[in-house]
Amino acid sequence: MNPSAPVPDDALLDLLVKRVTEGLSTAEQRELDVLDDGELSEQERALELAAAAVALTAARGAPPLPASLRERIERDARTVVALRPPGPPARRPWPAAAGWFAAAACLILAVAGWLRQPASAPATTPPLAQETRLPVHTPAQARAALLARAGTLKAAFGKTADPGSAGVSGDVVWDPATQQGYLRFSGLASNDPSVNQYQLWIFDGGRDSRYPVDGGVFDVPKGGGEVVIPIRAALAVRAAKAFAVTVEKPGGVVVSGREHVVALAQVG
Amino acid sequence: MLERVAAGDPGAVRDCMDQYGALVWSLARRLSRSPADAEDATQEIFLDIWRSASRFDPAQGSDKVFIAMIARRRLIDRLRKHASEPPMEPEEVLESVASPEAESAAHVSLEAEQAARALAELRPEQRRVLELGLLHGLSQSEISARLGMPLGTVKSFMRRGLIKVREFMKVEVAPAGGRAP
Repeated sequence: MNPSAPVPDDALLDLLVKRVTEGLSTAEQRELDVLDDGELSEQERALELAAAAVALTAARGAPPLPASLRERIERDARTVVALRPPGPPARRPWPAAAGWFAAAACLILAVAGWLRQPASAPATTPPLAQETRLPVHTPAQARAALLARAGTLKAAFGKTADPGSAGVSGDVVWDPATQQGYLRFSGLASNDPSVNQYQLWIFDGGRDSRYPVDGGVFDVPKGGGEVVIPIRAALAVRAAKAFAVTVEKPGGVVVSGREHVVALAQVG
Repeated sequence: MLERVAAGDPGAVRDCMDQYGALVWSLARRLSRSPADAEDATQEIFLDIWRSASRFDPAQGSDKVFIAMIARRRLIDRLRKHASEPPMEPEEVLESVASPEAESAAHVSLEAEQAARALAELRPEQRRVLELGLLHGLSQSEISARLGMPLGTVKSFMRRGLIKVREFMKVEVAPAGGRAP
């Protein structure tokens, strides 16, 4: 068989098309991962654009949102905007591969790549409107409310080999439906944001495991006690499988040096 | 608009619903298994929009195609979760499939016009495959069963059709997998 024949390309495209149009089974996703040489994200995005454009052809003359539904959405929006942490999630291009870590003693994650991201945006924060900055819930309250929802996932953080993991306990809650989540920690050392920051990574079963989703950077203030941190996923997470926290330079990193993985939680 | 949402402008949220509400609602109704499911899906989609607004890049496409992409991702996730539920009746599906017209689609967005022109160049059976898959959320297996068409043909029609639309949209990408032709 001629290895340069177009058949493999068609097979690969068929998998990408299926992922874009109806989603893949676990076995199909594995097959795609094997075939993925790191160039597929651009292909997938192009196919998604084409599929979205076809969807738009049928959008003319659509009826307006029902009033009751619109009210629910407005309520959601008020909460989401109010809870939005300061600082914009940086625009992340699709990844290029880089090798990376095997972590935690109690959790084994076969992670072969790491999300490559652009240099983090400087600390310029688009101002939230004053009225939306007023919190309607504390993060702890919002976490509790999220936890009460059906379908919300919860996983405990385990220790890793990193010294920074000593004495750390906590958990993560994540609602796949609304893409909201919170980290909760006790014992995680406070950081000086001018020196380093914590950064969350989310391993998504719906994506290549080499490319975890950036979950945002965060700080732990001095004073000890429990901290609750909202998750800011830079991309939609289809099926969260694990959450990892690393220590990085201020603003987060393009590629993690993975020297300090201080917390790791596996879902399910 | 999306930039204002990303900046936390509460007025932009209302403007966004005015402008995109019908679009999202239309997509949700087409790709949901029931009216109640469509309402839940629409609520989730707007949550995704609020969270994703800061990632909108006008260089990559219009705001409408960005919204449609977000909506489709969420709707496909939901369809997969409810895969065991019976799909829409074929008569209902086929009755509601309209042939997209470029002139009408142009009122929606440039991408819609380009897609409509691409669809118009497809053979009727190929266009039907794309419409059932993309406008009504049928899986390739479901399309195969509904149209009595071999699954391989459905896959081929879907792949070639999307590539044709992509070409009309002038989206350039490297060959899949980087393989030589």
